[in-house]
Amino acid sequence: MIKIQVDMEKCQHYGQCVYEAPNIFQLNSEDKLEYIATADDAELNNVKEAADVCPMQAITIVQ
Amino acid sequence: MGGLRTAESLRRFGYSGDITIVGGEKHLPYNRPPLSKDLLAQGKDFDAVAFPIKDSELKAEFILADPATSLSCHEKRIYLASGRNLEYDYLVAATGLRSRQMHFPNNLKLGRYNLRTFDDAKAIGAAATPEKKVVILGAGFIGLELAATLRTLGCSVAIVALEAIPLSPILGDDFGLAVQKRHEKEGVQFHLNRSVQDLIGDQRISGVLLSDGEILECDLLIEAVGSQTNTEWLEGNNLEMGNGVLTDNSLRAMRIDKSRVEDLFVVGDIARFPYLNIALPARRIEHWNIPVECGKRVGREISAIEGSESSSEFKQGEHFNPLPSFWSDQFSISILSYGEPKIADTISLLEGSLDSEFIFEYRREGSVVAVAGIGMRRKISALREEIRL
Ligand SMILES: Cc1cc2nc3c(=O)[nH]c(=O)nc-3n(C[C@H](O)[C@H](O)[C@H](O)COP(=O)(O)OP(=O)(O)OC[C@H]3O[C@@H](n4cnc5c(N)ncnc54)[C@H](O)[C@@H]3O)c2cc1C
Ligand code: SF4
Repeated sequence: MIKIQVDMEKCQHYGQCVYEAPNIFQLNSEDKLEYIATADDAELNNVKEAADVCPMQAITIVQ
Repeated sequence: MGGLRTAESLRRFGYSGDITIVGGEKHLPYNRPPLSKDLLAQGKDFDAVAFPIKDSELKAEFILADPATSLSCHEKRIYLASGRNLEYDYLVAATGLRSRQMHFPNNLKLGRYNLRTFDDAKAIGAAATPEKKVVILGAGFIGLELAATLRTLGCSVAIVALEAIPLSPILGDDFGLAVQKRHEKEGVQFHLNRSVQDLIGDQRISGVLLSDGEILECDLLIEAVGSQTNTEWLEGNNLEMGNGVLTDNSLRAMRIDKSRVEDLFVVGDIARFPYLNIALPARRIEHWNIPVECGKRVGREISAIEGSESSSEFKQGEHFNPLPSFWSDQFSISILSYGEPKIADTISLLEGSLDSEFIFEYRREGSVVAVAGIGMRRKISALREEIRL
């Protein structure tokens, strides 16, 4: 399992992460980010991609 | 940033050779977008913008504050300002841009600023105390973001720009006007269709003279009038330069004689790379996600040549075709754009209204080349699928 943290102080809800890991990150109907905090190892690569493309560098992964 | 992203990608795809990252600044790689936004607004420090680097995974040597001054493709060697030189098997050029500087008859220095680096942002932050009169030259994204940030900090802000409507060359007239109105509501003054002709003051700026004769009081002049590519160090190798460095569709540098340099890759703001589906000359894109995508690709390509990346998903030499994405925060508005609105021949309002949130669609010869808007991020993101570049 991997643990995912998003620093909500930094996050500006751009949703770039959603595209890379749609199973984990979603923008809700108010355009705010929602995410699942733990995920299967199979998601690791997608979440890494999401962390890379986050303009605010708000996503951290703990393995 | 493109340099760091390439190194990370090399390690991700199993490259086990040595990696050296040479930087002109004294700082480790950092994130530039916050420089005009939060960093300045909240007076944060370097840690807030530094990219996280895992030394144990990256295993790269950093040489900082020692810019490359020349290159010999033939000898496969770069020369640094300190006199040091380094031999390479692969070279990745990721030297980005610097701010363009204006020249005036009364070419005062004190009170003038640019914004490209962390040190630039710190200097502006220290000088722009509340009540200061700030004149920003240029109404592009950096000029507008700075206007919003400094206005929020309590400065009085005037923007002087050559265009009739800010951002209109990029996003179109209606979009630009909507942005201008929000700025005016917050008290930013616009002096459009004009430029600064000269500076007023002895030693330190006290005002600027506009091209129509008007004089604006000014404590700080910030020049946000575009940039120049840091590519002088690549000269003398018969590369196709001019506006950045021309690359082929795998980001390898091209020579004037149209041959390509197999071991020289170009990434980020300086890479002028070809379209896949659009009949236009190759272009540079100054967006944050481009060095990310370039770095990922080049790291993978080199790993594939070296044999550590052999996944069937990846084809060496496949056409690099990233989707440019851009965002900008100004006061309470957040602009989000996917694709290349600049190349559109038709712009239409898809949804929303110009005084609140909206989405524009940009088409060229019938097909969608960009979507951009204010707010409505979820809807804009969903539309990115339609873009073809
Ligand atoms: C204030 C500001 C705000 C921005 N906001 C946004 C935004 O909101 N959204 C967005 O999409 N994009 C934004 N951008 C653009 C984005 O930051 C750039 O596209 C991105 O940084 C480009 O990365 P790069 O690696 O190509 O170049 P850079 O990040 O500029 O890195 C180039 C590096 O090369 C070094 N260098 C230069 N010459 C030499 C040499 N001769 N030898 C060795 N090293 C050298 C430089 O010191 C620098 O460290 C912004 C840029 C700025 C300046
Ligand atoms: S990409 Fe980053 S800033 Fe954007 S929504 Fe995701 S976590 Fe937030």
